[in-house]
Amino acid sequence: MTTSLRYLLFACLLPLLWGCYPKGAEYTDELDLVYTNYASDFNFTALKTYSIPDSVVKITGDVISDPDGDGKPSFLPSSSAKVILDQVKLNMSNYGWTLVDKRGNPDVTILVSSMTTTNIYYYYDWWYYGWYYPGYNPGWGWYYPGYYPPYITGYRSGSILMQMIDNTSKPWGSDNAPVKWVCILNGLAEGGTANIAARTQVNIDQAYTQSPYLKH
Amino acid sequence: MKHILLSAFILLCGVTLYSQSSFILSYPMGLPLGDLHDYSSKTSFRGISMEFLGHAKPGVAVGLETGWNVFYEKKNKEPYKQGTTTITGTQYRYTNAVPILVESKWYPTEEKKKANPYVGLGVGTLFASRSTDFGLYRITNEAWQFCVRPEVGVLFSIEPGLKAMLGAKYYGAFNTDDLDGQSFLSINVGFVFSSL
Repeated sequence: MTTSLRYLLFACLLPLLWGCYPKGAEYTDELDLVYTNYASDFNFTALKTYSIPDSVVKITGDVISDPDGDGKPSFLPSSSAKVILDQVKLNMSNYGWTLVDKRGNPDVTILVSSMTTTNIYYYYDWWYYGWYYPGYNPGWGWYYPGYYPPYITGYRSGSILMQMIDNTSKPWGSDNAPVKWVCILNGLAEGGTANIAARTQVNIDQAYTQSPYLKH
Repeated sequence: MKHILLSAFILLCGVTLYSQSSFILSYPMGLPLGDLHDYSSKTSFRGISMEFLGHAKPGVAVGLETGWNVFYEKKNKEPYKQGTTTITGTQYRYTNAVPILVESKWYPTEEKKKANPYVGLGVGTLFASRSTDFGLYRITNEAWQFCVRPEVGVLFSIEPGLKAMLGAKYYGAFNTDDLDGQSFLSINVGFVFSSL
């Protein structure tokens, strides 16, 4: 075997190094998380009735915002809110809870709110400027000696928060309303309205599936 | 990671210029063991292994080894419970393992036959980087672990200065505070390029 052939064999083996990185998520629903937690000393099944507001609050930031000055926060469009609220009602009904008006002395109340965050992309690959530095491409990168610029990714993420408030312990003490069950749905707020709605429904179902203590 | 590998590669290539030396380039298939197996049980088909050896005396070589083994497993959507908390989601589990070892190999039959067995022992460190992608979040845990690596294998002479190799290496890594030992067994196939 000639020397050049030997180098060729050597060169053919090297690309193994660059084939090392495996795949990650391919679909938006693979990035969805369903988080639930509850007060373990609370007997949910001793209660029967619940109420739920007909709107979903849109949380816009740390500062309480009231852009139109009507004393109420911003809300999700009613079509989006309906998808969420109908699915919550369906699951509550399946678990043996009865929906009543807020004036009907409900045992618990479910408050639903939503928030989205737009994350800005700061990282970009050396490849974009590799062409400007012959001999330093590919495989090089950036480094920032002794400091770090923001390193965040570019996507819009969203969460839906559900809180189950215990009304039976009124009057509440310490200016705090007791949240006995909490659920956070988190994921990409990307992929179109129908896709987000479908994922939200699936994830609300999952929240109840993983909370069997709510079932009568 | 890229810089470590590139530096090691340049170092290994550079030293092969000296006489009576050899460079082993092989493809490792990694079988996870212990804590690494508990985390991701799938066999790794992603990796590379590089060794530079100088011949100390007939039948004995000493040198350096480095490489890269990537273990990966996708865990389909399922609930994870801790106390009263339950989180459901898809997990992507990655472990990058980079051994950096000093080693010695012993060739009992030297190079007298067409196929010659060898045994070896390496000692050094295993850099293990474990990342779990869960939803939009990534949890990363890294550790430099003490590593002992025995091996056995066979060399097949192709022509002067070139051999094929088939071997098995056991990377026994020790626990650190951040991460339990990331041990694995690797089956390597590759070539040995020797100076004439």
